[in-house]
Amino acid sequence: MIQERLADPAIAEMPGREALPRKSGELVFHDEWERRAFAMAVSLAEQGRFAWADFQQALIAAVAEAEGEDPLTPSRGYFESWLVALEAVLADKRLLGE
Amino acid sequence: MSHDDHAHDHGHAHDAPPSPYHSSQRSEERNRELTEKVARLEDLLVAKGIVDRGALDRAVDIYENDLGPMNGARVVARAWTDPAYKQRLLDNATAAIAELGYGGLQGEHMVVCENTPEIHNVVVCTLCSCYPWPVLGLPPTWYKDYAYRSRVVVDPRGVLADFGTELPDDVEVRVWDSSAEVRYLVLPERPAGTEGMSEEQLAELVERDAMIGVTKVEPA
Repeated sequence: MIQERLADPAIAEMPGREALPRKSGELVFHDEWERRAFAMAVSLAEQGRFAWADFQQALIAAVAEAEGEDPLTPSRGYFESWLVALEAVLADKRLLGE
Repeated sequence: MSHDDHAHDHGHAHDAPPSPYHSSQRSEERNRELTEKVARLEDLLVAKGIVDRGALDRAVDIYENDLGPMNGARVVARAWTDPAYKQRLLDNATAAIAELGYGGLQGEHMVVCENTPEIHNVVVCTLCSCYPWPVLGLPPTWYKDYAYRSRVVVDPRGVLADFGTELPDDVEVRVWDSSAEVRYLVLPERPAGTEGMSEEQLAELVERDAMIGVTKVEPA
């Protein structure tokens, strides 16, 4: 039976290195700020403040930057890169003003 | 203050493979900075009327409780209708599942166990909650309960009966214990009377519980 789904697969099922961290399918948030940062990006995209694809590209760039030479020892965690991407997109769309 | 005193997820051999990318290795000081930074950002967006906190809470709730796609149902329906695909699925499930575009595994291999009139397969993770999530979404609560994890090993027929699944005595029940390396998916038997159905219609019949192996697929 295929269930109705509220989550956007474009977000929930991002492929590759930018894929959401999961453990047996469940999202992994280590700290509350990670959850809040996740919610801000998702909520802003839902409202059409930016396209998810734009955020995703910024996230891919931030993750690649953090991984540098060695993907196994990134310079920062996944949601720190997420925050970098969020700030980049907010600045690009001038959502925070000057 | 030590920077190394955070509990890591590493070493829990029964669940997701270790990845520093996925674990918290920040100092408390750095974490406090990030907490404040995110709070400032949220306050600013709320003050500007760009987001409201209710919407943020709702977004988290949706994604944390997202049941995920039942991609497994499409895998099963394809195997029922395409014998060559079924053979590839039984030979190398990870590759055959990827053929349909379902991936996301982080080092785990998929193994598909085929139910037949003689053999019934059921999947468990005795130590935690390892689960083939790219094909089944989130595990149901009972899958993670100690009662299921402990009892299905010693009394699989009793557990199956609790799910309303009665098997003839001459059917062999095989229990598969998932791990960090291997995730199992049960390929249920195609029910009688579905010969005329399309792959899409068949996928609609396949319930999650049948792919864990606690139920059988019933004709519509």
